[in-house]
Amino acid sequence: MAQTLTHVNAMPAPTWGWLKMNETTLEIPEGLQPAGAAAVEVELEGAHPGDADAFTAALTRLEAATRHLRRASAPGDAADRERLADADEALDVPALSGYQTWAVATEEAYAPEQAFETGMGEDAYRFLREMAGATRVIEAPAGAQARVTVSVTGADAAVAVASTDVVAHAGSELTVVIALDAPAEGTGLVGSALRLVAEAGARVDVVCVQTAGDGYIALDDSGFFVADDARVNVRHVVLGAGRSLTGLASELAGDRARMDVDTSYLGAREQQRDFNYELRHRGRNTHSDLSANGVLAGASEKILRGTIDLVHGCKGSTGSENETVLLADERVKNKTVPIILCDEDDVAGNHGATIGHVRPDQLFYLMCRGISAEAAEGLFIRAKLEDAWLAAPNERIRAGIERLGGALFDDFEEEIA
Amino acid sequence: MAKQRTEVADIDRSLYDIIDSEEGFEALDAGLTPDIVEEISRRKDEPAWMLEFRLKSLEIYNRFPNPTWGPAIDGLDMNNIVTYVKPNTDQSATWDEVPDDIKNTFERLGIPEAERSYLAGVGAQYDSELVYHNMQDTAAQMGIVYSGIEEALHEPKWEALIREKFMTLIPPTDHKFAALHGAVWSGGSFVYVPAGTKLDFPLQSYFRLNARGAGQFEHTLIIVEDDADLHFIEGCSAPKYNVANLHAGAVELFVGKRAHLRYSTIENWSKNMYNLNTKRARVDEEGEIEWVSGSFGSHVGYLYPMSVLAGRKSRSSFTGITFAGAGQNLDTGCKVVLNAPDTSATVETKGISKGGGVQTFRSSVVVTPRAENAAVSVSCQSLMLDDESRSDTIPAMDIRAKNVDVGHEATIGRIGDDKVFYLMSRGIPEEEARAMIVNGFANPVAKELPLEYAVEMNNLIKLEMEGAIG
Repeated sequence: MAQTLTHVNAMPAPTWGWLKMNETTLEIPEGLQPAGAAAVEVELEGAHPGDADAFTAALTRLEAATRHLRRASAPGDAADRERLADADEALDVPALSGYQTWAVATEEAYAPEQAFETGMGEDAYRFLREMAGATRVIEAPAGAQARVTVSVTGADAAVAVASTDVVAHAGSELTVVIALDAPAEGTGLVGSALRLVAEAGARVDVVCVQTAGDGYIALDDSGFFVADDARVNVRHVVLGAGRSLTGLASELAGDRARMDVDTSYLGAREQQRDFNYELRHRGRNTHSDLSANGVLAGASEKILRGTIDLVHGCKGSTGSENETVLLADERVKNKTVPIILCDEDDVAGNHGATIGHVRPDQLFYLMCRGISAEAAEGLFIRAKLEDAWLAAPNERIRAGIERLGGALFDDFEEEIA
Repeated sequence: MAKQRTEVADIDRSLYDIIDSEEGFEALDAGLTPDIVEEISRRKDEPAWMLEFRLKSLEIYNRFPNPTWGPAIDGLDMNNIVTYVKPNTDQSATWDEVPDDIKNTFERLGIPEAERSYLAGVGAQYDSELVYHNMQDTAAQMGIVYSGIEEALHEPKWEALIREKFMTLIPPTDHKFAALHGAVWSGGSFVYVPAGTKLDFPLQSYFRLNARGAGQFEHTLIIVEDDADLHFIEGCSAPKYNVANLHAGAVELFVGKRAHLRYSTIENWSKNMYNLNTKRARVDEEGEIEWVSGSFGSHVGYLYPMSVLAGRKSRSSFTGITFAGAGQNLDTGCKVVLNAPDTSATVETKGISKGGGVQTFRSSVVVTPRAENAAVSVSCQSLMLDDESRSDTIPAMDIRAKNVDVGHEATIGRIGDDKVFYLMSRGIPEEEARAMIVNGFANPVAKELPLEYAVEMNNLIKLEMEGAIG
């Protein structure tokens, strides 16, 4: 079943190809077979299975409410180009790049169903959905409190994937917990494909914790549509897997919609971490916040692509992106591309990144207490694991973290007990 | 009712839009063929290795695709571009020998006056050839060489050095328009500053593209030896036509150990120009490159001066401003490669978009495993002056070294109403208040320029701000 997935985690606005940051090509190892339904467990509290077309229907329902997002005209739009077909006059219109042209075209004919996307891209999403076999559709009723827990357990030589569509109806409060784990030794793939509509006023918390072993590839793909006054919090905790890819795309289409993403990751040995976040603001007074915090040790590699897209018309919106990376070893490779795309003036977008090693004053503090620079690296890894353990949403995830910690530190389980 | 500031109205845009007659000029056919490349080389009576280099570059150009990540360049049809236009004069060392119309154009641009006031030397290129090149005797007595690069190429003393360095920092394989440059380059300057020599006054090259539908492909090669110091200024402009013009120059800078080079540019091409320029510096131990860059003109701009910090404790700083108005898509920024221990780089940029213009800040910071204890600070701020314009920020960082310290920050927003209100409450009209705020925003770049250029930059901003309200 050797397969190559292309344009994975592609950032919407590409940069120089020689940097090798624009997108990822993922080779799925040969010989892996779909794990079957037993690899995925789903628990519902206050939510119920929905009709197969519930997700699409929810997007269609939002079409009327988002029609005002269609842009009548824009510099460089189709009408402009037609009007200025004469090459001489075309010099009066900005020569838009590929992604700028795509943005204008999307705005001209905006429709939720067409605009909806997931962070890892079409190729990866199609693969995950196909490997899952069937997509579970879940609905949280209007005004209800609900909880959905999806546990995916990988196995040697298997591809274990959950594909889930969720509709959080107006005013609902929903928590979605996704556990991607693979305790067995071996080579395999665990993954999740999540599509979620948060209708007006819904409150959604999504937590995805990944604790697979080093022999596994972990794929976490998600897409969110956030309507008026809805709020989505996402927490990604990436601790395991030899290679992990995380993609998230969100459409903040409703006025006052809000998206907060908190990503915590650990890279050790030769692990690879690959993230792509696209936070697209279309509604007025929307807000997004992306915070990524990680420790890279050993010869691990990481790339984080984060895009805040302030689309024309999203007046009063703010987008913020912040990254802190601690490089705990000289062999690590750390790539970051924090992008802001801005087609609106009454907005604020900002990003900041701090990338560095342990500061001399911090090291001095530790060394005064008998901790060497090398031992300090272990401390940072341990702290990251302990933090994840303390915030773990259930015992099953906690057990996965204990297993990873125990493999690294003899006394990990005793210490957190 | 649209308001006009007297101060703005006083600025004469026609300064840049003077069009001189092309009577008596020699132009090759439009398009790009091996015959044209050979003809350029023949006219310049070049060494055989240069012709071979040009033809290889042409092959690379034909093989390479257009870039897909930046502003569209579909409107640039090389079949319509004349790659070589020789004005009706040879290079002179006195302005009196320059034909009147060309001299008058440079007079109006203020070049001879600047030369008299504060420059140690001036080179003036008109279309494809230098028409004037001169340097003060004092600088010559210091052993400094400032001449046309083609002139230097014909001197046995410099040919070997030029051959050793030419297009090594920017090889034709770097990108399609570097290859184009390699094939049809013409004109440009050669500067050699001997070890330990410090020139107190700047040298300046000014590039003027007058011909309709033409390209300018000048090559600037500067070598600043160990412990030497130079400030080089580059200016450029063109009148506006209703067809595409092309600028694909190349600047290669070699900064020696403990040497210092400041390279300042005010780019004010007309808004039918495709400015696909490439600039690169290599810096040795404890050397320093400072880039000061203002980008105002062009229909499309791709400009990312690159610093390669190759020696221990070498440094780079990039201070830039880009102002994109109606019909413009300016993709600018910088690249830094830190490839030695204890290197450091700072980047501070400002971007302004107005009237439906598009400006993008694009950068890359690469810290290689050799660059232990490297420090990098990147700050980019963008100002949106209306909701029809666009401003994007695409910075990339690749960090692979031990004990590095990398900080990055970026903000995009508009002029705060509170700031405008504050100034208006003190009796300043709204348009003037906004112009003041924009000038204040641009000030970190302006203060890095020589006074005369800071004034020109401020005038350009005011010119672009004309009619911003009302």
